[in-house]
Amino acid sequence: MGDKDVRTVVRGVAMGGTGGDPVAIDSKDGKIVRIRPLHWDMNYTPEELEDSFWEYDFQGKKLKTSMKATPTYFALAYKNRVYSKNRVKYPLQRVDWEPGGDPAKTNPQNRGISKFKRISWDEALDIIESELKRVTETYGPYAILCIGEDGHRESKDLHSGGGMHMTLLKELGGYTREVRTPDSVEGWYWGAKHVWGAGSNFGLGLAAPPETGYCSWNVPLDICENTELIAFHAGDIELTQNYAGQGLSRLIKYWEELGKEFVIVDPFCNYTAVCHPTMKWVPILPNTDVALDFALMYVWITEGLYDKDYVQTHTVGFDKLTAYVLGEEDGQPKTPEWAAPICGVPEWTIKALARKWGTMRTALVHFSSGHVKGPYSHEPGRTAAYKMAMQGLGKPGVNQMYITNSEMAKPTAAKTTTFPITMCNRSSMFVTVPQQVPRTMVAKVINEGTAKWWGSPSIIKASREDQFTEYNYPLPADQGGTEVHLLWSEKPCNMGCWNGGFNYQDAIRSPKVEFFLTNHQWLENDSLFCDMILPVTTVMEERDDVGGSQVTQVKYACLNERACDPVGESKSDYEIALEIGKRFGVDQNISKGMTEDQWFEAAFNMFPISQEVSFDKLKERTYYVPKLDPDWRDIPRGMQNFYEDPESFPLDTPSGKIEFWSQALADNFPDDQERQPMARWFIGGSSEDGWMHDETPYGEKAKEYPLLLCSTAGRFRTHVQGDDMIWFREIETVKVKGWDGYDYEPVWLAPEDAEARGIQNGDIVKVFNDQGIILCGARISVRTIPGSVNIAKGSRVDPIAPHIDRGGSSNLISPPRYISKHCAGFAVTNYLVECAKLEKAEYDQWKQQYPDAWARDYDPAIGSNYASWVEGE
Amino acid sequence: MAKVFVIDYKGCVGCHDCQVGCKDEHCGNEWLPYAAEQPVSGQFWCKLNQYERGARPHVIVTYLPVLCNHCDDAPCIKAAPDAVYKREDGLVVIDPVKAKGNKKIVESCPYHVIYWNEELQLAQKCTGCAHLLDGDHPISTPRCVDNCHVDLIKFGEEADFDLSDCEVLHPEYGTKPRVYYKGGLPKKFVAGTIYDPEAKEVRIGAKATLSGEAGTYTATTDGWGDFWLRDLPDADFTLTIEADGKSKQLAVSTKSADVGLGDIAL
Repeated sequence: MGDKDVRTVVRGVAMGGTGGDPVAIDSKDGKIVRIRPLHWDMNYTPEELEDSFWEYDFQGKKLKTSMKATPTYFALAYKNRVYSKNRVKYPLQRVDWEPGGDPAKTNPQNRGISKFKRISWDEALDIIESELKRVTETYGPYAILCIGEDGHRESKDLHSGGGMHMTLLKELGGYTREVRTPDSVEGWYWGAKHVWGAGSNFGLGLAAPPETGYCSWNVPLDICENTELIAFHAGDIELTQNYAGQGLSRLIKYWEELGKEFVIVDPFCNYTAVCHPTMKWVPILPNTDVALDFALMYVWITEGLYDKDYVQTHTVGFDKLTAYVLGEEDGQPKTPEWAAPICGVPEWTIKALARKWGTMRTALVHFSSGHVKGPYSHEPGRTAAYKMAMQGLGKPGVNQMYITNSEMAKPTAAKTTTFPITMCNRSSMFVTVPQQVPRTMVAKVINEGTAKWWGSPSIIKASREDQFTEYNYPLPADQGGTEVHLLWSEKPCNMGCWNGGFNYQDAIRSPKVEFFLTNHQWLENDSLFCDMILPVTTVMEERDDVGGSQVTQVKYACLNERACDPVGESKSDYEIALEIGKRFGVDQNISKGMTEDQWFEAAFNMFPISQEVSFDKLKERTYYVPKLDPDWRDIPRGMQNFYEDPESFPLDTPSGKIEFWSQALADNFPDDQERQPMARWFIGGSSEDGWMHDETPYGEKAKEYPLLLCSTAGRFRTHVQGDDMIWFREIETVKVKGWDGYDYEPVWLAPEDAEARGIQNGDIVKVFNDQGIILCGARISVRTIPGSVNIAKGSRVDPIAPHIDRGGSSNLISPPRYISKHCAGFAVTNYLVECAKLEKAEYDQWKQQYPDAWARDYDPAIGSNYASWVEGE
Repeated sequence: MAKVFVIDYKGCVGCHDCQVGCKDEHCGNEWLPYAAEQPVSGQFWCKLNQYERGARPHVIVTYLPVLCNHCDDAPCIKAAPDAVYKREDGLVVIDPVKAKGNKKIVESCPYHVIYWNEELQLAQKCTGCAHLLDGDHPISTPRCVDNCHVDLIKFGEEADFDLSDCEVLHPEYGTKPRVYYKGGLPKKFVAGTIYDPEAKEVRIGAKATLSGEAGTYTATTDGWGDFWLRDLPDADFTLTIEADGKSKQLAVSTKSADVGLGDIAL
């Protein structure tokens, strides 16, 4: 009863980065039948794959590349995304917006309120052409702001967005670039980078050796062989790996088999902690990790539990750290007794953690998230680096494992730990241009017209020294500088991901924004606030060459046909750039006159993989797993070279060593009380006193807003992606059905905090601070520490009124400020809020006051959708 | 030959691959004569149940995949012998044509794993992906099995499995299920951290003993001062903790829930 008409396409599907573990997509008549894990032996024999698959063998126990791939569950449920009731099928225009820039006709105040209507591609292209010309002629090309440099989209290659508008506009005279700030790694980027140098990908701030081009290989191998204690300090691997794969679940199980010990320090008993019974959860109050770390260091110093020889030979400034920790500097020894009430961790547990960490070979393992994304994140970023330094970073078993060094083995053809095996991407997302704005400052530059910051702050290719460079917006007029008036986003999710979402919504409603255009697959978030939306194909609808190279069991190349027909009239970002390019006669400059196949082949032949296999063979088999370097096991592990010979393999810090105290920071920012030359425990304070934040339980702000909101990635979303996925929404922990039938985003409350506020399980809860109010559904749980509540980031916005939102997008109430004065990154978790039950009277009052918000279509399975926002078909 | 599902749920990481795979196979796809389409949401032919257990900081979540038990003595077959049948391989299948309009099939199942499709007026449930087993499809295993990235759900010949440490759900129903849970179904735990209130140190190597009519269970505290007494029956116990000549007794009960005692001074 089989079906011979079913065809199978293989590709990597990921929610970001550079491809993911592969799925096999079975389809029939242009429609997807099923999406399942690829069995690697579909187009190869096991013998053919033998030299491409790694095997770990320790203590007589083996871990091998699994013949069945381990794709992310997002990929496995991708039919929900392709055929979502929330897909943008046609070009859409906001009903009360007209081109021309006249505020009476652009109605900027109605962004996020008024609905959309379907228009034709011709109409859309006419408007885009005329608006690009008008804005350029009126203000100059830099009046166009290109938004989208990001890894927070579907993973694509030739058809990738995020910078195709930049590639097009480069041909038309230029643009202003919105620079993605180092979102996943803020604390490492702004903090640890001044301790151990630029780090992974030359900029992320995660420990990586300069001598390999900042590639840290073989850390999983080192951990398997040598590590005794694995510290997941706010790193939830079972969750975070899912942006690209799930192979690391198998590695964790292998670590358990090998008898490793684990500790998870996190305000929330996270998804890695709850499913592995061997793991010790140490609950901690958000934003207090620095106090805990200093207390650990106090025990190590006073009990001699650190590598004194290493500190002598590999570091500078330890005397200053010692003086601070022992209280010689400020009179306060940083004892466990001192830290315990600050952190909410018992004194005896702090001591136990210190002794374990100080006596066992400990690796720090994390996958973004947590305390390195909060206010003053450079401080925990630095104290984490200090801990690694005191325990001999690079020593066998003492390394840092993170997203961009989680590779299980190195193939010969791999250029770096992260770079795809082949790539022909035309997007200009990482190209520096004269006028730029950090993503964290877009609202500010619209509202205020000017901005000043230090450091580019590009997520990669950003040196430590760059952070001392002052940048300004706009450029002087004689260099083409102008304020921005046209916003074009190929990744419309800023309000759900970056600092101060409500503040961003206010800025978008400024008459200064004459046209806001987005390219997007789904009608959600920033697109609800735009003037025109162009429909974009998903990864399933494109021919592309997307394999996988990050968070995949093996790296591989792929050449994939379309898995299904395009939905509606959607086109890829690449095709859209070409269409608009035709209007200006520059499309050939973008495509270089080459077909898709010519791009795939030309790119392939430029990469080392072409020495190993022919393009024709790849085409025939559609995927290829490169052979492992025969000597891969001998490649130095993590920071091994530096550990063994710091003189020959120095870091790129000024001293070439690990710097507990940064003279460079002291010289460049002598008056910075927030990021001082050495990390310190402090709570911040008011802006009048020069502080950026006051987001701990111990300041003034906490008197009004006593709960620290922890907002890390959702278990079943990747940032803002996937909130419309029906098969996840119906999982009991993903949404909370209110008494009104609406699926609210859960706010996880400790029983003590819920009881104190008269909140019951399932209640509709207002979560609020000085930024506004979001509505959530109460989920009372022993998984969170009292004093802290948890809301997974990325639920879709569903505006009721300015600064009141029903969708539970936590980021709307995150601080609109930056990490600290000289660090223009974001602080999107660990900030103060209060929670209260939404009483029926207030609910009814809102319903009466804002009837349009309640009148929008609501589908019980998917929530807000296309019909909620589009008039007519 | 009769097949079984064997689920090693204790290693489940909570990813829901199995639940999603089932939906991917059956929502929007009709596999006649085995199954009509599953509605896009609301039915769970394979459902991952989750149980939050213990008290901070001794918290775990147990994930338990639940599907049709493909009982050898199936109440649904008794309720509608003309519409529900047992295959030679042991799978129980509701005929989507013959079962039309018969809601008794739903009500007959003590495990509540049969769902009513209002639109089709049809009782529906897990088919064991019989269409994949029988047909010439790209895979020939149930989707929950193929999707599981940690390979904890197995499906195969009964004779090929060691079922000696397995349990089935509610054996007292007497329906003879063919879905086995490796290592037995979840049992209760008692956990705590023992510390010395004078020295403000955890007590390592302290002894924790549970005793009662249901038996005696002991554990020793680890480097965190933690003891975990696992796999306990539902019963009332006396917990005795001892270290350095000191001891303390507490009454605990696992009858209604697991017990997380937090920090205990000794």
